[in-house]
Amino acid sequence: MAQEKEFMENNVDTIIGINVTIKGNLYNKGSIQVNGSVDGEVKSDENLIIGETAQIKGPVVARVIEVSGEVKGLVEAIDKLEIQPTGRIYGDINAKTLIIKEGATFVGKSIMPGEAKAMAEAAKPKEETKQEIKAEDSIEQIADKMGFFSKK
Amino acid sequence: MYYYIFDIKKCKKRTLVDDIKNYLSTLGISGEFAYPSAAYTTEELVDLGLSKKYNTIVGIGGDEIANKIAAKLCGNSAALGIIPLEASSDLEDLIGAKNWKEAAENLRFRKINEIKIGKTANGSAFLTNLSLDLKIPTEVTIEFKDFLVQAKASALTISNFNPTIEKIGPDYLDLILESVDPHDSAILSKISLFFGGKKNENANMSLFRGRSLRLFTNTQVPLTAGGEIIAKTPQLIETSDDNLRLIVGKKSLYKCQE
Repeated sequence: MAQEKEFMENNVDTIIGINVTIKGNLYNKGSIQVNGSVDGEVKSDENLIIGETAQIKGPVVARVIEVSGEVKGLVEAIDKLEIQPTGRIYGDINAKTLIIKEGATFVGKSIMPGEAKAMAEAAKPKEETKQEIKAEDSIEQIADKMGFFSKK
Repeated sequence: MYYYIFDIKKCKKRTLVDDIKNYLSTLGISGEFAYPSAAYTTEELVDLGLSKKYNTIVGIGGDEIANKIAAKLCGNSAALGIIPLEASSDLEDLIGAKNWKEAAENLRFRKINEIKIGKTANGSAFLTNLSLDLKIPTEVTIEFKDFLVQAKASALTISNFNPTIEKIGPDYLDLILESVDPHDSAILSKISLFFGGKKNENANMSLFRGRSLRLFTNTQVPLTAGGEIIAKTPQLIETSDDNLRLIVGKKSLYKCQE
């Protein structure tokens, strides 16, 4: 195989060729490059490169993801997600940094991990500072505690 | 100390046998010489050498004899030495010797590298590559632990050692697959190329890593190592549980991420 040397220099642990179909879950500590079809989860602790000819049906998770092909499912990038002009994502995305190039297709909901935290904080009900009304309180004190009078 | 199993068929010149013997004597590592024949197979000679308490069994020849001795010595305290004669360049890179003289010198220094070997379910072994002997592109299914790979393969090699690929772990095999479009006929692709269609060869290449895999084809296809058929599909292929003590030189290209 004459091309071996060239494609091995890409420093990728797993490469899925253009006419190859995978069924099941693919997990790698190293980087993954997909040019074929995957029916299942793709997970990498490093980079995930989804080539123009790639078709993935299932969630994808990696530190950095570059999408030039098609993904139908959740896309979760720990650091960065970049959707190239030929990239098509039909599903939600969750990425710290998101780059969508002109021409790319994205149908779904986008959540940024930092923003999601802030939104969750904002959605929490505020602690009410209700003051206990005691029997010995005067009518002014009760009205004050119930917020009838605005504080100056 | 040294038990040499000499594959005479690999000696193009009759004088080479004497040249090697004399050189080994000069280096002070001469020993007993045995020759595989109809009476004694390579495997039987290894057993004989071990029964005589030799701690180094040396195969003089190509990949074929090296693989046979490796299969017998895996998990044994005796070390394997290889003096290559018409061996593959991958085997030469594994032991770090480009010719028999360099290999003989490596034997003298006896630097040992403990490695895993590739094994098939029928008990055969391969130190470097195991290839699917394909005459025409063939549908293959490869079963790994968590996923299945399906493709029409034009070439498929399972490597225990390949100098162009860094192993991700000592007990991992690398599967290199070259695929073709399953719906594309050879004539159509030629027409496409004639009209300026591009043949993206790199995109047809796949690389998978695994400790164990099962290989299936629609019809039975031979699996070859060092030019010899050692198994047929369907076949279970995995790394050995035990280590092989292999004598290597400083120039050995064996490297592993872990």
